[in-house]
Amino acid sequence: MYYAQVRPQSVLETGCGETSDAHCPAQQLNSSIQLEADISTQNPVEQILGILALIVINKAGGLIYNRTFGDGLNQLNTNDYLVLAGTFHGVHAITTRLNPGHQPQQITAGGIPSRPDPPSGLEVMESENFRLQCFNTLTGTKFLLFTDTLQANVDVAMRKIYDLYADFVTKNPFYQLEMPIRCDTFDRKLNSYIREVNNAR
Amino acid sequence: MSNLQAPRGGAKEQSGLRYPANGKTIYHRPLNRAKTAELSGASFAYLFSEMVSYASKKIESIQDLEKRLNVQGHPIGLKLLDLLLYREPARSQTRPLNIITLLHFIKINVWQHLFGQAADGLEKSSDPSKPDEYMIIDNEPLVNRYISVPRDMSQLNCAAYVAGIIEGVCDGAAFPARVTAHSVGKQEEGEMWPGRTVFLVKFAPEVMERETFLGKG
Amino acid sequence: MSYYFVIVGTQDNPLFEHEFGTSKAGGDGQARFPDQARHMNQFIVHSSLDIVEEVQWGGTGQMYLKCVDRFFNSYVSCFLTGGNVKFMLLHQPPSSAVSSTGGAANPRSSTSTIATNPTSPQTEEAVRSFMLEVYESWVKAIMSPFYHVNMEVRSPVFRQRVAAAGRKYL
Repeated sequence: MYYAQVRPQSVLETGCGETSDAHCPAQQLNSSIQLEADISTQNPVEQILGILALIVINKAGGLIYNRTFGDGLNQLNTNDYLVLAGTFHGVHAITTRLNPGHQPQQITAGGIPSRPDPPSGLEVMESENFRLQCFNTLTGTKFLLFTDTLQANVDVAMRKIYDLYADFVTKNPFYQLEMPIRCDTFDRKLNSYIREVNNAR
Repeated sequence: MSNLQAPRGGAKEQSGLRYPANGKTIYHRPLNRAKTAELSGASFAYLFSEMVSYASKKIESIQDLEKRLNVQGHPIGLKLLDLLLYREPARSQTRPLNIITLLHFIKINVWQHLFGQAADGLEKSSDPSKPDEYMIIDNEPLVNRYISVPRDMSQLNCAAYVAGIIEGVCDGAAFPARVTAHSVGKQEEGEMWPGRTVFLVKFAPEVMERETFLGKG
Repeated sequence: MSYYFVIVGTQDNPLFEHEFGTSKAGGDGQARFPDQARHMNQFIVHSSLDIVEEVQWGGTGQMYLKCVDRFFNSYVSCFLTGGNVKFMLLHQPPSSAVSSTGGAANPRSSTSTIATNPTSPQTEEAVRSFMLEVYESWVKAIMSPFYHVNMEVRSPVFRQRVAAAGRKYL
């Protein structure tokens, strides 16, 4: 599988200090994330570990789910979350075009040409204080998982969260696709899973 | 009585029925199934999700929706009754003759067949003024496993479908009853089982009358 | 021996009827009811339904109720399904002198009492086997998603199955 890893390290570093590059498309994202990134700078003694937040963005770039895990995390207001989701969606679309050397290859299995994997775009973003992993499903729904920088097995956690989404959201007759996720069972299962992961740290 | 005999003579097979190409109809398949034969839970979940969506169209009230789900389950109960009795070993192949035998059959056989485990409880109403009410309890109904009911429909329990199946079994066995599903997950004992559901079985007066009469004799 | 088999629904409505004769002891499988008796059969079976309802709630809930009624030379056996659908089988030994036509004339008839004696244990057992086989087909018939309770069964395959069960056991 084609793996694109984009690390706008410099952008984030400038974001934590003073802002310089006003034309960078990640600029807005950067300022939105800043609050999350500030967590550890403000309380360097008790850094919150584990999985910090989950955001789900639908294929049109709309925010359909956001949740933070653990106490003492900074919260954005709803509007900022919506802006963050929309901006990330745009940045992600740009990053899918960023690989100049990539030629899509036709993979054939038993004579039948199979659909090539779409360019995955931004998958991981690391900063000094947190790590953002993005998982883009085949239908274009994006799962953004914020963890601390040392969190291991984020892929496994992402997989599990996607499982929970497939089970408790898409199989729910009262959920309409692409609409905000309001499913008690999903919340409950997600919380208990995240607690389990975070307690294991 | 009308005459349902097959027409005599040549025009016997002109019924307009179509058969599968290999000639095998449902009558050629065995009724017993292997103990391990299971169906995909995911496909059932999607199917049931669509059934609920279908039943939610143009409804006027939550009761309306529960009624529709109940009606969808009813024929299944009628059919399951005979199918499961057929699969019983010959010596226990008996028709349920009283309420307890019937409810026990539902709790064990029907639940085992549908959900792979017996129901979690069977109780008689403790209210002495309601001797016709019985409760079958399931801590986590399979049909509700992936369902989150929106807040504005909080009285809804999609296990009304299972209630319809129970009602079908009762009606088929000549114990007319009204069965409803109620969520009790938010009550005191529901801490551990948020989806805990009670199926309230209310038998018709004639059933109670017969039960008393048979009890004496 | 001649047989008249009928399935009666929960509203005492007929769902399926079939007439046949014995295939044992050299029988040709044709019903030999006297003409005036054929239309009587429905009345006889209908009147037996009252007896079935009397014994329905007694006993241990066995499905096969054996021979429940008798009207002159006609015997009625009953099988009750879980859904309280009644399988009624009316059997009638040849009326014109059992000993001359059915018994003595045919040397093989002595080996089988089914054809001549409607109340013998062998007959009860044969009828039970017949009923159980019909029950299997019945369960398959009602499993159809298009089948509703108390609907007439028209499937020719079902009729074939009943006829085959009759040939096999009766």
